[in-house]
Amino acid sequence: MDTRRAAILYQPPGLVPFAQAWRWQRQLQQRLLAEPQALEAVLLLQHQPCYTLGRGASTEHLRFDPADPPLPLFRIDRGGEVTHHAPGQLVLYPVLDLQRHGADLHRYLRDLEQVVIDLLLAELDLVAERSAGFTGVWLEGRKVAALGVGARRWISQHGLALNVDCSLEGYAAIVPCGIAQRPVGRLADWRPGLRAAALAPQLLERFSARFGLALRPPLPAEALEAAWDSDPRAGIGAA
Amino acid sequence: MATHEIFMPALSSTMTEGKIVAWLKQPGDKVERGESVLVVESDKADMDVESFNEGFLAAVLMPAGGTAPVGETIGLIVEQEADIAAVAASAAPAAASAAAAPAAPASAPPAAATAPAAAPPPAAAQPASAAPLAPPTPAPLPSVSAPPLLAVAAPAANGRLVATPRARKLAQQLGVALEALRGSGPHGRIQADDVLAASGQPVSLPRVAEGPGPAVAAAPAAAANPAGVSPAAAAPAAAGQAFGRPGETVPFNALQQAVNRNMVASLAVPCFRVGYTITTDKLDAFYKQVKGKGVTMTALLVKAAALTLARHPQVNAATSEAGMAYPAAINVAVAVAMADGGLITPVLAAADRTDLYSLSRHWAELVERARQKQLKPEEYSTGSFTLSNLGMFGVDRFDAILPPGTGAILAVAASRPAVVAGNDSSISIKRQMQVNLTCDHRTIYGADAAAFLKDLAQLIETNPESLAL
Repeated sequence: MDTRRAAILYQPPGLVPFAQAWRWQRQLQQRLLAEPQALEAVLLLQHQPCYTLGRGASTEHLRFDPADPPLPLFRIDRGGEVTHHAPGQLVLYPVLDLQRHGADLHRYLRDLEQVVIDLLLAELDLVAERSAGFTGVWLEGRKVAALGVGARRWISQHGLALNVDCSLEGYAAIVPCGIAQRPVGRLADWRPGLRAAALAPQLLERFSARFGLALRPPLPAEALEAAWDSDPRAGIGAA
Repeated sequence: MATHEIFMPALSSTMTEGKIVAWLKQPGDKVERGESVLVVESDKADMDVESFNEGFLAAVLMPAGGTAPVGETIGLIVEQEADIAAVAASAAPAAASAAAAPAAPASAPPAAATAPAAAPPPAAAQPASAAPLAPPTPAPLPSVSAPPLLAVAAPAANGRLVATPRARKLAQQLGVALEALRGSGPHGRIQADDVLAASGQPVSLPRVAEGPGPAVAAAPAAAANPAGVSPAAAAPAAAGQAFGRPGETVPFNALQQAVNRNMVASLAVPCFRVGYTITTDKLDAFYKQVKGKGVTMTALLVKAAALTLARHPQVNAATSEAGMAYPAAINVAVAVAMADGGLITPVLAAADRTDLYSLSRHWAELVERARQKQLKPEEYSTGSFTLSNLGMFGVDRFDAILPPGTGAILAVAASRPAVVAGNDSSISIKRQMQVNLTCDHRTIYGADAAAFLKDLAQLIETNPESLAL
């Protein structure tokens, strides 16, 4: 008997502007807030290059003037310090009612880490690990997955970003997650030729197994609002 | 005047304190029921904290950037706009400290993410994922140094120090020596702003209002209820974990079955229990000194128990078929609840002979591996004595079930401020915690248990520094 609960999987194609994905997440979060019985949802996508800061993040970890960022910069409603998104990075945004998953934010973060750890071991034969006090997933001392979560009434948004074959150049302009002397890495450096898209199905399978979800595509009535032409500068300023 | 407290919510069973990222409302602002009032961060997760009451934010007791223990009152909401001024202005010291103090116990003993014990079944059902205590929030506040702490705790009897409770609290958190300050309040009373100014913190925004008077009368039980008041209201936090949904029956997992077998086996052991109240002011002060070096409260308690056991080998012994078995070493096991059910007791071997810092490091590593289910059998099955700490939940007393093959288990409750009458008829406020030793009477007698507890209390009360030697 499959005891997994249904959840909706959105996989927007192409490179999604950060502001668009954020808007979608809030739309999904609103739906769960308004209808507590509504299905949970997951977004899996890749972003156009950008930087994001957690709500309490320090701008000290930026190696540029926040008023004049080299890439779009957003201060967003998640925990954690600055991070970078770029094509080749798998970004997973679960919009879950965490009360259905134990109502425990630390446990949720550990579960997200475990999804990546299990994925790397099973699919790539790579032994990744946690580092106590440094949330994220680490491979030989390099951080390959960054986490940041925000919740309202236990409805989550934001999530994890796994560096598969993205360029790491953008990280040079920041201190990722505010941790100096702890470099970031990408899986393609261990498994040459690996592409983000190729790893996406397995990531979803690991995620849905750990969280007891059965992912399915959206019904027409569940479609996200149409993409809108966002001004990439729209989110700036708050930083 | 109806006043509702906003508490630091428990966003995780392993969360002991949270950082206030931002107040979304300022004192005086109207607040709707269900509206987000502030944002709390723990680890890499943010949570909006909502008001369960319609009213007005009357006071912010902990400004953005500050860190508060779970359960601490961090803001006040009044129902009537007319009451804002009264709450914000009244700086009735007694009442405000009463509001803050009882909520704070979690700050003391919790430390590690240890939890229930081979303890009673209800406790075993507690969640508590055993992640090592996130040394979470990169708190911008300078860590507390000891001298001002003591100064705050014990205002000089002669040159009496006059400061508002909020100022004292801030001074403690920011490491500011109150005696060095000149108060700007009435009759030179030291205000929160004076402390902020002395610490170099911005004074302007958000304004820190002083606590209110008698209106802070929310039921103490509400402290368990994170952001607010009506438990019926939508939300969140301290919700206990369940493994099944209403109407379901869920099979025990392997670990739960193992715990069940051990717990039932204990019914064949003639157990008795002895309790003791231990004053922890010195231990707490010492903990603050060494916390920065990675020492956890769990390691301190383990070390204290182990050193005392070295002098009371009878309490480290167990009943075997051949007679009373005295283990070759003092191996202290600590109960840790697993997120997905059951509990495990990682062992700190030869804890009496291992230094405090190694114990702390080793413990963090054991807990992490326990969580990942990577412990080897000898790492969780070789305890000669067990410790169960529920202090992080604010529990004031409990008793634990004796694990098979051992002679005693110590249940440690929260350290809480208490009014203490001294033998000389003095009255003072001290932090106290209750401990409760469960023993197998075949090997350990009442006098053995009592002597052990007396020595343990003496060590913790008079000489905690020796734990680091």
